Amino acid sequence: MHYIKLYFVCIKRSMLSRLEYKKDSVISILSFLLSNACALGSIFFILQAIPSLKGYTPAEVGFFYGFSMLPIAIDHLFSDEFWLVAYRRVQLGDMDRHFLRPIPVIFQMFAETFQPDGFGEVIVGITMIVICGLNLHVSVTFGAIFVLIIGAVFGALIITSFKIALSSLAFIFKRSGPLLQIVYNFTVYAKYPIAIFPKVVKFILIFILPFGLFISLPVDTLLYGNYNPYLLSLIIIGVSIVFFTLATLIWTLCARRYESTGS
Amino acid sequence: MIEVQELTKIFRKPVRGKGLIGMIATLFSRKYTEIRAVDGVSFNIPKGEIVGYIGSNGAGKSTTIKMMCGILTPTSGKVLIDGKEPYLKRRIVAKDIGVVFGQKTQLWWDIPLVESFKVLKEVYQVSDSDYEARIKFLSSVLGIDEFMSQPVRTLSLGQRMRADLAASMLHNPKILFLDEPTIGMDVLVKDKIRTAIHALNAKYHTTVVLTTHDMADIENLCSRLIMIEKGKIIYDGPLGDIKRRFGNIKTLTLTIPPNIDPNEVEPFSDDIIMSVDEDKVILGFDADKVNLEHVVQYAFSKYHAIDMKIADISIEDVVKKILSQQEEEHAKAKKI
Repeated sequence: MHYIKLYFVCIKRSMLSRLEYKKDSVISILSFLLSNACALGSIFFILQAIPSLKGYTPAEVGFFYGFSMLPIAIDHLFSDEFWLVAYRRVQLGDMDRHFLRPIPVIFQMFAETFQPDGFGEVIVGITMIVICGLNLHVSVTFGAIFVLIIGAVFGALIITSFKIALSSLAFIFKRSGPLLQIVYNFTVYAKYPIAIFPKVVKFILIFILPFGLFISLPVDTLLYGNYNPYLLSLIIIGVSIVFFTLATLIWTLCARRYESTGS
Repeated sequence: MIEVQELTKIFRKPVRGKGLIGMIATLFSRKYTEIRAVDGVSFNIPKGEIVGYIGSNGAGKSTTIKMMCGILTPTSGKVLIDGKEPYLKRRIVAKDIGVVFGQKTQLWWDIPLVESFKVLKEVYQVSDSDYEARIKFLSSVLGIDEFMSQPVRTLSLGQRMRADLAASMLHNPKILFLDEPTIGMDVLVKDKIRTAIHALNAKYHTTVVLTTHDMADIENLCSRLIMIEKGKIIYDGPLGDIKRRFGNIKTLTLTIPPNIDPNEVEPFSDDIIMSVDEDKVILGFDADKVNLEHVVQYAFSKYHAIDMKIADISIEDVVKKILSQQEEEHAKAKKI
């Protein structure tokens, strides 16, 4: 209970920080609207230019793309602070105050920044799904919707787990941003139907960096009924819990190696 | 309250080459040097004491403090805070300690001070009534109410330090670690902070461990001194003893005209030690034994001083003196 209340107090703090600079807030809201509009626009241009992708119609590709934005956006909402940990904060010795408080450091990282930009990405993603879905005349089943929601939410947890594990390496190497960036960039491949890739990439996207597992497979389930939605949901939830547990374990081990900078 | 036993911290640093080529070569080398930042340090601090933990730059002060508050894990030996090791039971010990690092703030940069306090209140689960009472008391001793609604980024160094002190006391910790609390401040602000530390110690019986470079901080605040040099403790005892050993030592630095040869000036007495540094003459004396007025008159009449500067003994000087005394004792012991 204490942690839930504390989380909301911290989120309020994070929003206050963002609103402290009035002109900056206005600019960031405008730039956010503009960048999302551009993203949406460019996707539609590309879809119009390409008649089909290995047998997938533009609407299908658009559906995949739109859905892939959801887990990424949810992760973006809650765990943006880990980028700073990986790139800057450990290197600058800026983590001392978190280690001095009677609260898990990892919780403080989640509570340090709340990134409302993620809401916009959720809206853009859902818009794309709805538009492309209507074009495709998909037959919506409860099971398919269920697996999509599970894929988005627990997929976000898997992305977050990678962020936690890789950013915690900064405690040892002082800076792990570039490494995190490389792995995170793999989500780009997850934006397309997994069937278009060669076998090696498929294998990686399902068993090693399982972005295909929670993006491509649920969409396949909705559009073509390829998999059992409940079994797939169970697998996604199981995998995400394993990843998250491992990630927090790695974080705990690495955080012991934290050395502050001299003063 | 605080027990430190044979505490040692060894940092392993790769041996670095010089320049770009050397740095690249370092990537492939497996050579390390070991730096013993803290080397077998032991002491006990009882409840309610204000202890000065001092030493020259790089002596190992901050490293010890970091191990005592649980940010850094020792290589060997241990720290016990109320019987618990802070780096193993970080979250439990964190409730009992407050920490202020002079160079870093624990407040949020962009938001008004009072908002930072509200978050900390929630972090430490301070009840509303305790919070009100403490804010009231802290405002009265630190004068923070004048800038409570200002963002931390707009505060001056002195204001920020007072705010940080208040923040570290919100949860009424049993122990307060202060790392250079008066660094970079003017005399008036320093004085305010010292008064506040005294008031906190008197009201809440908070044990205070502070590091500083300022002799005046120590004289005003500490009943006990622990002195560290190159990772080892060279003195641990009451402030009075140090004062008795080194007295109220001051140095008078004179700039003299070129036609005066300082070696030919008749000496004042055995109580003044004279040394020459280029065109400067440095007179060291104990102000409890020799009247300052007489020394100044002597400086003007015999040396025809153009300019002069009076300074208290610095921590570096005290450290040097203790080390040289210890070496002498060592040499004597060997002879016998």
